[in-house]
Amino acid sequence: MVKQIFKAGSILMVISLAVVSCKPSDGSKLNILKINGSTTVNLPAAEAAEVLRESMGLNIQMDTQGGSSGGISMLGEQRIDIGMSSKKISQKDKDKFSSCDFYETKIGEDAVALIVSKDVWEGGVHSVSKAEIQGIYEGKIINWKELGGADQKIVFYNKEPGRGTWEVFAKWVYGSSKKAPQVSFPEVGGNEETRAKVSSTRGALSQLSASWADGKTIFALGLESENGELIEPTKKNIAAGTYPMSRPLYLLTDGEPAGLAKKYIDFILSDEGQAIVSRHDYLSLSDLK
Amino acid sequence: MRISKNITLVSSWFFSAIAVVVILGGLLMLFLDSLPIWEKEGAGFITGQRWFFRQEEFGAGSMIYGSIVVALIAILIAAPIGIAAAVFGVEFLPQKWRMALKVTVELLAGVPSVVYGLLGVLLLRNWIYDLFSAFDINSGDTLLTAGILLGVMILPTVMTLSDDALRSIPGNQRTAARGLGLNSSETALYVTIPQATPGLIAAVLLGIGRALGETIAVFLVIGRQDNQWPDPLIALQPLISSGQTLSSKLGGAETNIAYGQPLHWGAITGLGLLLLSLVVIITLLGIWLRNLTIRRYEA
Repeated sequence: MVKQIFKAGSILMVISLAVVSCKPSDGSKLNILKINGSTTVNLPAAEAAEVLRESMGLNIQMDTQGGSSGGISMLGEQRIDIGMSSKKISQKDKDKFSSCDFYETKIGEDAVALIVSKDVWEGGVHSVSKAEIQGIYEGKIINWKELGGADQKIVFYNKEPGRGTWEVFAKWVYGSSKKAPQVSFPEVGGNEETRAKVSSTRGALSQLSASWADGKTIFALGLESENGELIEPTKKNIAAGTYPMSRPLYLLTDGEPAGLAKKYIDFILSDEGQAIVSRHDYLSLSDLK
Repeated sequence: MRISKNITLVSSWFFSAIAVVVILGGLLMLFLDSLPIWEKEGAGFITGQRWFFRQEEFGAGSMIYGSIVVALIAILIAAPIGIAAAVFGVEFLPQKWRMALKVTVELLAGVPSVVYGLLGVLLLRNWIYDLFSAFDINSGDTLLTAGILLGVMILPTVMTLSDDALRSIPGNQRTAARGLGLNSSETALYVTIPQATPGLIAAVLLGIGRALGETIAVFLVIGRQDNQWPDPLIALQPLISSGQTLSSKLGGAETNIAYGQPLHWGAITGLGLLLLSLVVIITLLGIWLRNLTIRRYEA
């Protein structure tokens, strides 16, 4: 019995390896639109895909492996048709995937919030300054009571490297992601994981797309500017550019969108598609005008 | 008749050859891709305790520690329970019930690991967090959580292989033991278990092999914190802290970032090579021991 299972297993493994190692087939030929990347962009993108599946019968495969850099690298390797990214394409990415002509289509904007668990919020910490968050990131501030909260250790979940969320955070706190010091914290990946772990851990703090802070289980901290002003991640502040940690949301294609990808992107840019973007508490393009 | 026999022969050789080529090719590719890191770090890649990829510091030590500790916790849970359940099934249960037990356990082996991972996130994380709240625990994402979860996951493997090992002891051995006046417990303790020992060890080793390679479930509950080298090496506090294993690192975001940068990519594939070599060695050892028991009585 076990021998048979092993045999079946090894055959399956060989077959799946053979399938995986095959060159990816051209999605457009099979009429499949493959999309991968940022979990932040994925929220409206997946809903748009659902609408198009029903109304136009499009075959769309959505995935969120590796976040924004996953989207960029898989598009660069031509394994997908559209990459979702919550950060701009860098020169480094362009050099790395020189055969890919990255084309960015902006579909909205989002803010990154510093979110905390309920006990921290109720303990009285509602905002932080840049200096304070640097202290936490560098391990100099380790207890919430140093920030006027309850006597509770700070449990910092760092967004894993390569995530758009982390880049926006590092850019605000240290000026650029390259200047951020090397630290080792427990890491979180997708937004769902961040929400689950922060909401279930006492003293937890992490970086998360502001639209995910529901104000019931996880709470978005306001940021204190240098002159003591409190800036909260509200739509108004993000649109006005006063909230410092905001970022554009992109759909990336290899060259200008064409075929199925164009149909899909045109839909997200339409009023109906932009309404979906707004519904997920991101700023639509018209909000930004 | 002859033709069909030839077809069987050729195709079985062909498919076996594919399996061999895939595993050797995989090892070779991982080795070639990881050459840059061996050239830069040498053995320091294995013993180094610092991993900061932006500063190009690559030491796999704390991940190797994580992998070994997690696999050990898992086997400490799975081995006693799995072997005891197999002994009970083979020596004490009527045939009908034994099969029911075995089928159920083998079904458990087929549950996708992401399901175990989600159960781990929903239940086990919180249990560990509450249970150890007096011991300066930061969160439920710990090496211990991952180890216990893996223990549950490899239990079916250990149990069903132990069952095979015990069942390969011929019935006449038991009959002889009973003839000498031993009761069932004594027969199990003094006759079948000692004779099946290599097979039982094999079951444990194959279980460890599976524990080492398991990714998704571990990934979800271990915290994925780098540079958690324990000081002192043997201590309990690191077990209830977050950590990283070879597999959770490979399942993480760095593989996407590393691609295209020879040194970083070399370090990542180097981790893959370490993991695959560990699993291959342990699995081969297990299979060798298993065949030893089975062959002893087939002759």
